[in-house]
Amino acid sequence: MTEPLISSDQIYREVQKSIADALQISEQKVEPDSSLIRDLAAESLDFIDINFRLEQRFSIGMPRKYFLEHVEELFGEGTAIDQSGHLTEAAVTIWNARLGSSGPQVHAGMALDDVPALVTPRTLVMIVEEILATCPHACPACGKAAWAVADGGPITCGGCGAPAQLLTGDDVIRRWLEDFRARGGPVSRAS
Amino acid sequence: MGPCHGRVALITGSSRGLGRVIARKLSDAGADVVLNYRKAGGRSEAQAQALAKELVERGSRAVAIQADISQKDAVATMCQEIAARYGRLDILVLNAARAPFKAVSELLRRDLLELVENNYLGNVYCMQQALPLMQGRPGHVVFVSSLGSRFALPSYPLGSMKAAMEALVKQWAVELGDRQITVNGVTAGLLKTDSLIVLRQYWPGVERLPATAFVDLEDVASVVLFLCTDAARAIRGQSIVVDNGLTNQLLYPTSTG
Repeated sequence: MTEPLISSDQIYREVQKSIADALQISEQKVEPDSSLIRDLAAESLDFIDINFRLEQRFSIGMPRKYFLEHVEELFGEGTAIDQSGHLTEAAVTIWNARLGSSGPQVHAGMALDDVPALVTPRTLVMIVEEILATCPHACPACGKAAWAVADGGPITCGGCGAPAQLLTGDDVIRRWLEDFRARGGPVSRAS
Repeated sequence: MGPCHGRVALITGSSRGLGRVIARKLSDAGADVVLNYRKAGGRSEAQAQALAKELVERGSRAVAIQADISQKDAVATMCQEIAARYGRLDILVLNAARAPFKAVSELLRRDLLELVENNYLGNVYCMQQALPLMQGRPGHVVFVSSLGSRFALPSYPLGSMKAAMEALVKQWAVELGDRQITVNGVTAGLLKTDSLIVLRQYWPGVERLPATAFVDLEDVASVVLFLCTDAARAIRGQSIVVDNGLTNQLLYPTSTG
């Protein structure tokens, strides 16, 4: 797909609403770069709540695990987080490869506990966009390439009405990491 | 005058969910309640402080204290504050819990440590530090457990910690029997609380269970309160299932139709 079915702005509005509803604050308080934890006082349970709301809205599966948790699972424990709970050089390399220089920045030695505070509405928009982008060109059920957006949310087939089969957020991350490894990404297991 | 009049009660993890309802229940029964929350600066702090304020305005000597129970020093500091403020403790409700939601096969070492530190060690720290404050008087300890202690639930490794907790209930009940301190557990069923926010993410269809599959927070808190009264002094080392009857049948309708 060239043009996304749901624009970043639309996704942002839903992210903003989900956060405001979960935290019981006004939408005006939620800004694109607000730290959910530092600026909006969200806690770990709130993240699950916000994700659930986005899942319902778009019929998607948000990631159940943090990016660095996936790194540890796929590349081995100790790759990204050292024994004392701090980020390794490899974690920073992988992080930067995925999020680039414009995203939230991490550094080696940073406490893992400080990473969730980097999550902003912009991060969530990116995650939703990535999941929606896994929509196949044509509907596997009827073969038509006629996706439609139902009520600003779920993507359904304009031909047969079937919901779009999208990867989950965890799948998206795993695939990216596998691809990263296949490209020869510098992943050396920490001692 | 309520059955807990003049008693001081600490409820760990009482900023929201079941802990909050238990704290209210004990306060309504006349206890001076010590609320506890893990993290400074977050919503739970605001919620705990707001509840403490409300209870104080109603004439109770309530207070909210921040302490991460997985940290032995933090538990010691909290208990020192309770000692300074009240000079005693009569009731301890170990409600705080914190766990990763993953299949057991996916647990990293860090996840395992988090599980044990928060849900096993933390409760032992609380008991060890609280006992000196419970010296010389009858007292009541209630561990808040869940059906995960007996049944496998999806992505719920916390269940194994709850099983350990229920074993500890027996252990402490025997160790403290001579001191007239009762130690019991309440094994809660499915709750429509923050935990449901988590459950519905990992247990597809849980929301379609009929309303009778869930147990009211009030109903669980009522049993906790009962175990914290002298009327229950002969109940020792029991973990009482409060699940609205959910686990009495093997199969359950998944839809209200």
